[in-house]
Amino acid sequence: MAWYHRFSNVLRPRRLSRDLDRELSFHVSELVDELVARGMTDRDAFAEARRRFGNFGMQKERTRDVDTMAWLDSLGADVRYALRAMRRSPGFAAVAVLSLALGIGANTAIFGLIDAVMLRALPVRNPGELLRVTAEDQWGVVSNPVWEQVRDRQDVFSGALAYGNARFNLNAAGEAKFATAAWVSGDYFSTLGVRAHAGRMLAKSDDYRGCAPVAVLSYAFWRAHYGGDPSVIGKTIALDGHPFLIAGVSASGFTGVDVGQSKDLFAPLCATAVNGGSGMLESPSSVWLFMIARPKPGVSLDQVRARLSTLAPAVFEATVPRNRGTESRSDYLRQTLRATPAANGISQLRSDYGRALVLLMVVVALVLLIACANVANLLLTRATVREREIAIRLAIGAGRGRLIRQLLTESLLLSALGAVAGALLAQWGSRLLVAMLSDTRSAVFLDLSPNVRLFAFTALVAVATGMMFGLVPAWRATRAQPHTAMKGNSRGITQGHSSFSLGRALIIFQVAVSLVLVVGAGLMLGTFRRLTTVDAGFQRQGVLLVDANIRNGEYKGPRRAEVFREMLARVRALPGVKAAVSNVTPVSGSAWTDDVVADGFTPKTREDGVAFFNQVGDGYFETMGTRLLAGRDFGPRDALTAPAVAIVNESMARRFFATTNAVGKTFRVLQGQKTSAPIEIVGIVEDAKYKSLRDPAPPTAYLAVSQDSTPSAYLTFDVRAGGSTAAIAPAVRNAMLAASPTVSLTFASFAEQVDESVARERLLATLSTFFGGLALLLATIGLYGVMSYSVARRRNEIGIRMALGAARTRVVRMVLGEVAMLVGIGVALGLAFALASSRLLAVFLFGLAPNDPVTIAGAITISVLVAAVAGYLPARRASRVDPMLALREE
Amino acid sequence: MQKRKNDILQGTLALLVLKSLAARGALHGYAITAHIHHVSAELLRVEEGSLYPALHRMEQDGWVRASWGTTEKNRQARYYSVTADGKRQLAREEESWARLRDGVQRVLRFA
Repeated sequence: MAWYHRFSNVLRPRRLSRDLDRELSFHVSELVDELVARGMTDRDAFAEARRRFGNFGMQKERTRDVDTMAWLDSLGADVRYALRAMRRSPGFAAVAVLSLALGIGANTAIFGLIDAVMLRALPVRNPGELLRVTAEDQWGVVSNPVWEQVRDRQDVFSGALAYGNARFNLNAAGEAKFATAAWVSGDYFSTLGVRAHAGRMLAKSDDYRGCAPVAVLSYAFWRAHYGGDPSVIGKTIALDGHPFLIAGVSASGFTGVDVGQSKDLFAPLCATAVNGGSGMLESPSSVWLFMIARPKPGVSLDQVRARLSTLAPAVFEATVPRNRGTESRSDYLRQTLRATPAANGISQLRSDYGRALVLLMVVVALVLLIACANVANLLLTRATVREREIAIRLAIGAGRGRLIRQLLTESLLLSALGAVAGALLAQWGSRLLVAMLSDTRSAVFLDLSPNVRLFAFTALVAVATGMMFGLVPAWRATRAQPHTAMKGNSRGITQGHSSFSLGRALIIFQVAVSLVLVVGAGLMLGTFRRLTTVDAGFQRQGVLLVDANIRNGEYKGPRRAEVFREMLARVRALPGVKAAVSNVTPVSGSAWTDDVVADGFTPKTREDGVAFFNQVGDGYFETMGTRLLAGRDFGPRDALTAPAVAIVNESMARRFFATTNAVGKTFRVLQGQKTSAPIEIVGIVEDAKYKSLRDPAPPTAYLAVSQDSTPSAYLTFDVRAGGSTAAIAPAVRNAMLAASPTVSLTFASFAEQVDESVARERLLATLSTFFGGLALLLATIGLYGVMSYSVARRRNEIGIRMALGAARTRVVRMVLGEVAMLVGIGVALGLAFALASSRLLAVFLFGLAPNDPVTIAGAITISVLVAAVAGYLPARRASRVDPMLALREE
Repeated sequence: MQKRKNDILQGTLALLVLKSLAARGALHGYAITAHIHHVSAELLRVEEGSLYPALHRMEQDGWVRASWGTTEKNRQARYYSVTADGKRQLAREEESWARLRDGVQRVLRFA
């Protein structure tokens, strides 16, 4: 218990001090009494007692040390000393804490995001056991037949689940309101170990062919949509217009296994038959399910992998799609099943942003290094100011270790304050980052609540930075020889440069690192600018996209086409409006590909024979701003019964016909073992981007929507108006509802859709520019500080030079020359480092090389200009030194 | 500071204090110095500078217990008394002192 008393005594120093005073003064009083009893006068007795007792304060201190944890007590004293030092120079403390707060805050924010996207385990039972099971597909999804085969054949899992992502319209008609959802297998909740908050979870008994549509709500959706009303259980909710019975509400905190996306509700796989048709369940070509499994206790990952690879042939043999060519059939059968740990869920966000986040982590770590260098420089500067104080303390017997500890306490206090301010900044910064990741179609949902890992990271960064910037200055400061204290004001006429070389090295380091970051920012900005100004083959501004879904209207076959024609006519009747329809819109994420057969063309690889398709109506190219280069647009003559026609882009013409003049030629589409009727090319359009702005436009064929014998219930209306897209939206909605009151509509701006397709590049460009600017600012402050200080220390020298006839311009040149040397070395080192590391950036870039000379030249120019400003101010001050004043000061 | 002849030998202070407390019951710091001074026929004098840190260390080690009390002159004083642990420690210290004294004596006799 002794340690406990000592510890508690540290916490109540006043009481301890008072008790010691009482005890020791009692002793003195008794001594006085005794001396008086022997015949001394009161005054003499008191003096004698004090003399015998010795130094009262020292006795008290020595006794006190026994009663407290001496190290903790001295730590308290060190902290008080550090706080006093900060109060004495608040400017220094503010600059130091602010640069550290920005550096540590940026690191904490980015790490918080990495933690949420890549490290956090799912809020389910024993997430570490979960495995993801995938086939060859690039997205890691399988068809329902494959899932059912795996489920029924496996014997290594205690539970296995499959789910597919879905989006349900909650509104019956008019503008659509979507809920994000998952179609889940019956054992979804039991495998994950997620309990019901209310009602019941889905079970195996809910998942059978021809099942009744039921749904489980997520806790958050239940609160937001129903205000947490328990009576909704047992009632129905309309999903895409179909009633689903609400079975229960899942435990709070569980929003599915996708990181970055929050599921509102869950419905059994079998219910896809209700609103998706039976194809999703029965077709082996429809790949859309993610599989997750939990191995039986004692079964290792290797055993699972071995078992899956022996199961795979039978699974794929049983599910091989009909209507496939022999080649693609054997490709299908060659597939194998893999298992990978899935403790932190499945995330599109992770694959989209994982590398970008790691890159940003490197960037912010460099920014923090620059901030550290800055604070170290400030501390070095201050150490020279405190030289005398420290020399005196060394002279009167302070231990060097003790002094270093005291100075380090000051550094750690600075970094701790920086970390606290940084953590607050990070709270705000992480939220801002998540907002930047979100787009209008899907809000990104991430759990950013502080956890132990995040806290440990921030604490570690704080301690590491405190040590990094504090240790060397403390070491150097306490190197002073005690006798320097005796020499009085021992300022030399010229200050030696050598004592300051560490500060200069730090400046060179800062300039070098900030140049690397500025080059990186330039490359990211260049990439983003090129992506947004690339000739995409369409005009992104001014187009309103309206997804129309007439499934609720129960229109069948040709009637659907009539309803869409009626809508288009009404939209076109609006003043100043151009409109067309299409099946796919560019860079929407959707794609439609098919194998093409053309006379005189033999594909070198299977990929070679694949073209991208779209189905569009007349006026599409004019509305989208895609130029028609030859032939004609679709028109009334391209009716259902007329010969099939297509408009192709230049790449398609060149690929399959080796000429851009392909009007009149024909091609066919491979459909399983058979081919379609010949399709005649009636027009050639310029290349337009399809899936992404980054990829070159693929060979693309546009079919006529008017010739579709099985019209879909969905179609996108592309509407171009003179003014803003938002202004025209209400009129368009009214026109379309007038044609069909049950249509459900989703509005989007094409420009926003294009912007969102380059969200990652925008994020990288924005953040790298911000951090590059921050790095440059910090380096500039560092340079300014060091040069100002150097000029102040050299006042006498400069005064003498001027007294001896040096011109002001010569003094300016002298100081600027020094700046130029530091910056020159820094830029050279930074350039070498940037060139060496720029290769790592290549994967993020578009339209420019990692060593793009214009970007690098620009970055150097900016760095040098900023440095010149930072150096000129001290230089000018140096040139204004009055020689008489400077010399008289000595 | 000049060393006085009657300085308590390093390491014996705890022994003397524990012995005094064991013999006399609860005592305050001043009474301990007075007792040692008196009983040693004024040969030994405890330095205040050593006494109080030593008392507090013994208290932390659990050999003595302290409590505030009032003297006959109606002054507040901190009284120390020996604990069970302290008695065991006293036995150990007495034994080691005896060994030390014997050893020293043998060396002196030999010369």
